[in-house]
Amino acid sequence: MRFAGKVLGVFILVFVTYVIYSGSTSLYDLTTGVAVALATALITANLVVREPHKLIQLQRLAWLTAYAVRYFFIDEVKAHVDVIKRILHPKMPINPGIVKIPYGVVSDYAMMTIANSITNTPGTVVVEVDPGEKAFYVHWINAVTTEPSDARSHVSEVFERFARRIFD
Amino acid sequence: MNVKKALILVSLIILVLTLSAAFTSSALGHYPLPLSGVRWLASWYLYTTLNPQYPKFTAMSPEAVTAIVWDYRGLDTLFETAVFFLAIVGALALMRGISLKSLAESNETTTEGAGSGLSLISKTAAKLLTPLIIAVSASIALHGHLTPGGGFQGGSAAAVAPLLLLVIFSVYFLLRRGISEKPMLTLRTAGLLGIYLTALAVVFTGLVTGVNAYVFQNQPKFDAPVGIPAYLFNTLVSGSLFLFNLSEYLAVAGGFTLVFILLSIPEELVMSLIRGEEHE
Repeated sequence: MRFAGKVLGVFILVFVTYVIYSGSTSLYDLTTGVAVALATALITANLVVREPHKLIQLQRLAWLTAYAVRYFFIDEVKAHVDVIKRILHPKMPINPGIVKIPYGVVSDYAMMTIANSITNTPGTVVVEVDPGEKAFYVHWINAVTTEPSDARSHVSEVFERFARRIFD
Repeated sequence: MNVKKALILVSLIILVLTLSAAFTSSALGHYPLPLSGVRWLASWYLYTTLNPQYPKFTAMSPEAVTAIVWDYRGLDTLFETAVFFLAIVGALALMRGISLKSLAESNETTTEGAGSGLSLISKTAAKLLTPLIIAVSASIALHGHLTPGGGFQGGSAAAVAPLLLLVIFSVYFLLRRGISEKPMLTLRTAGLLGIYLTALAVVFTGLVTGVNAYVFQNQPKFDAPVGIPAYLFNTLVSGSLFLFNLSEYLAVAGGFTLVFILLSIPEELVMSLIRGEEHE
């Protein structure tokens, strides 16, 4: 039963990816899509999914959608504008440094979501993660503080709030 | 240092300006302009690649490149595939006597801990990417007779998934999950068997029904009236092209994965095993 849930989760993911990538909903694509998705799901279900019951909690999907919109249209734009300003400013006002930023999420996917959200916004890059201490080491273009909890509220608090609701 | 940079800058500008002047004044010779219109050979392919009105000429595939690769010049592709797999057979022969299974067992304690492989971020992302890579690669392969792509392209893309796991986790991570030389050999052999059966399918049909037929034939020809159906349940599968792409996909994905695994075994282990065999 648990395995069936895992297979279903990967099946949906692969099937949607297959149909979108093929760019067609003809009978041929739906048939081959089902075959490919089933085979892939059977092989990779245990690798990809650990807690299949989260699949039916649809509020997670709603949070994911909300986060995607917020991340790409607000957080990314703000970060880009900030870095563009620094590049174009004649004095190039940068204050780079590596800061330690703790995180409080449990699942690997939530942790990865925060890390990739930090890295994908210009100006901050996760250079190392310490799962034992539950902390990222982040290279920050404008390290205004080296205090871990302060740095967290500057850099990753928003990402963490959404990541927890999506994956934890 | 700044003089050096300035010299590089000036010389690059001079190079670009000189080359531009040479091209515009035809000092390097005259270059033929592209022909306007379609050449005779191209129009022949375009006219016959998918043309149900001329069933004795057409390859029944809208994707002319795949039609050329597996139908017009199919025998050439068969020998290309043979050369590629001969190389893999060579790699296997060099690495003979090395049991990957025992390697995986002897390394059980040192894998998947915090110390092995890349960071947890890379590992989590790689897990999620694995099924997505397979989905995209299968789409490339199974759409080969309709849109650009095909079996070799799809199979190469599929092999990226085990390659990612191999680099980000460890080769032993793959081996302990059954992605080892035996299953990959089976996958490769099944794919090659599919290619050979497809290449001979029409000849067998011809022998059984007593009519003329050719090796590597796809659609019926004037002097060989049997062929592989172009449509299956009203869906265009382009006869042998779909079967070739599917088989090549499995064979190439298995073959590349096999070589990646063989190449990632530590050199010291391989050398001690190969040398040991010679001395005894």
